[in-house]
Amino acid sequence: MTSDPRIQAMVAYLEGQGCEAMLAVNNGQNLFLDPNVVFVFSGVRPIGEGAVLIERSGRTTLVVTPAWDAERVAAASRTELTLACDDLAQGIEEVLGKARVNGARVVTLGLETVFERTARAITNLLGGSRPAPQGFASRIARVRNAQEIAAGRKAAWIAERGYERMLEVARPGMREYELAAELYCHMKGLGAEDNFLLMSASQHNLAVCAAGHRRLDAGDIILSEITPCYQGQFVQICRTTVLGEPSPVLKEKYPVLQAAMKRGQAAAVPGTKVREVAEAINGVFRAAGYGKYCQPPYMRVRGHGLGITSDLPGDIAGDSEVVLEEGMVFVMHPNQYLPETGYLMCGEPVVITPRGAQSLSAREAELDFIPLEALAA
Amino acid sequence: MKTVHPSIIIGAYNWDQTRLPRDEFQIRGRDLERAMDENGWKAIFVYGDADEHSTLAYCTGFVPRVRWALALLPREGEPRLLASMSSRDVPAMKLMTWIPDVVSGWQWQAAFDPWIAGLKGDAPIGVGTIGFERMQPRLLRAVEKSIGDFIRLAPAKGFEGASRALRPRELSLLRESCAVVKSAAAAMVKAWQSGAGAEAAVLEGERSARALAAQDVRTLVSLDGGRTLVPFRGEFKPEGDALVAHVAVKVMGYWAELFVSAAKDPGAYPQVQRALDALKAAARPGQVGEDLHAAAVRVLGTRALHPVLTASVGRRVGLSLDEGCGLTAESAAPMTPGSVYSLHVGLRDEKGGALASAMVVVGARGIEVLCESKDALAL
Repeated sequence: MTSDPRIQAMVAYLEGQGCEAMLAVNNGQNLFLDPNVVFVFSGVRPIGEGAVLIERSGRTTLVVTPAWDAERVAAASRTELTLACDDLAQGIEEVLGKARVNGARVVTLGLETVFERTARAITNLLGGSRPAPQGFASRIARVRNAQEIAAGRKAAWIAERGYERMLEVARPGMREYELAAELYCHMKGLGAEDNFLLMSASQHNLAVCAAGHRRLDAGDIILSEITPCYQGQFVQICRTTVLGEPSPVLKEKYPVLQAAMKRGQAAAVPGTKVREVAEAINGVFRAAGYGKYCQPPYMRVRGHGLGITSDLPGDIAGDSEVVLEEGMVFVMHPNQYLPETGYLMCGEPVVITPRGAQSLSAREAELDFIPLEALAA
Repeated sequence: MKTVHPSIIIGAYNWDQTRLPRDEFQIRGRDLERAMDENGWKAIFVYGDADEHSTLAYCTGFVPRVRWALALLPREGEPRLLASMSSRDVPAMKLMTWIPDVVSGWQWQAAFDPWIAGLKGDAPIGVGTIGFERMQPRLLRAVEKSIGDFIRLAPAKGFEGASRALRPRELSLLRESCAVVKSAAAAMVKAWQSGAGAEAAVLEGERSARALAAQDVRTLVSLDGGRTLVPFRGEFKPEGDALVAHVAVKVMGYWAELFVSAAKDPGAYPQVQRALDALKAAARPGQVGEDLHAAAVRVLGTRALHPVLTASVGRRVGLSLDEGCGLTAESAAPMTPGSVYSLHVGLRDEKGGALASAMVVVGARGIEVLCESKDALAL
């Protein structure tokens, strides 16, 4: 019997439903806000479409595309068996045959994420579609295990080194994409296998976006959403950096975001509903006179879950009834547009503990600046 | 060659009208208009996702950085582009395309339903589709629910990347992509020759390409002397006896790729290079895939192609790294003028392997080599 609690939970579900197996599939596109169910049950990020077959006995088989990736996935996978092929549906058919599993008694997970043509082929193979409840994998994996939290801490360490690199190299005249490339490659050199990196700059930002061709200028406020992934664990830090001396109004307003962050962290104890955390954060902005800006397009959400393990607790928003649990990991970010300063960013990856949301970052967000005099010297 | 798909494509993608002016998209749109007229369609819907978006990029210039995008292109009236991003991201998305009306696809009914309601005609109205076979089932269900009996969808044929010949301005962009990939490959070799391990050398190549404004960079590297290739791991093992890697870059929308093989002991490389030379010599307009495949494998004798090549010695490259026309033992498709191919050959045994490739454009009488693996060794 497997010792993996997530596989055990799946087996218990199959027994309860009287099903022979679960087929979890994914199209290979890694969305940092969503779970990749193939990764959740195998520990592998396939190059193409992939699937994990979990039998009621607890035996697991990973099926991936393309065929030439066989040796890598066999070495990396937590499953008992692996098969690499060039057609996912054909590979699944082979695995079902070898396992003597009746396709008509297989439940599916994530079938809605693969390409239509693949979904159709798999549905035909199984003689119909029997999907597991929506969000089933996210619920199973909603609490990170010790290994995942350790990987998250390493990812946070990488993110902070990436940000330090930005403070070292950003200067007027540099193009946004050059700065983004430098950060991206620096963090990759520290082991980040992926990075949902948004980084842009302006004198009065409306939002953060992907780096473009614009050249940085003195007085720019650089917004960065630095999101490295280490061993499948994404984390995110949100930072605001001024190229030159920050204006007095910026110095006055940025602490509002920091106070909101502190309030949110304190509120986020196990058993709290997510909407209460969002409300705690919004309360700080309301008290500062920015209540009407606590909605899109002036902000989006006050944080969100991080793929590719589980997207729970989901968006940190005022309408979420999700209850926080110890060990949940997400990014908390009271990023906010203020009319006097433009959009500002402040956020940390956090893990829920009995004392609140503990930051995985060693140094929490401050209003940083890069002195132009030092660059000139 | 694919690698693990990144969570976002981070390169700079603003529409550069000095290189791809508005008239370029008018030219590209004529085939769509012809298809609409011939089939009686009132519109064509073009779908693309972050992984494959060749025809979407061809028609609109838009590249989904994450998830998907859907272009609604009418025969008469104004087009609309739905991007699977939040409304906050829409202003940045608008910078990537000539289509002014870009909306978030997250508010599906508000974005899609009013637009199709503007189509004039008696139900069912015919609409052509491109790329829908890659659409996720949940999005397809949303489309079907919205169109009901009002619209009848039909796949539009003949819009695959392989059906398009590159015009001079497109080829100019692809030449730039080849220059960047050549530079990246050379940076890898230089780093490896300076003592870097294989992964560190490949990262140096990526850094070089991104600094040259590459919009996307994909790499694979061998950690076992060329026997297998793997996506980035971040292990950074120390210097080895061989650097075998693959690098692909996208510049102004167009891809170029190269394999790199450098080793202290050349091993299989000379034979691989001879096979690539034979492949280049055989390549010309009208030559079919099976003959090209035969020309290459003849030099390899009884040894099989490297598995990473999936039994192919090349394929077309353009707005996708794989525009089709794979050069396999069964391929009867002829090379046509105006098409760009990546030609590649590789071998492996228990100890290691070697791979070499060339990017070539097919002209009226022969081919022109745009860049090749040995350039990286020579620089």
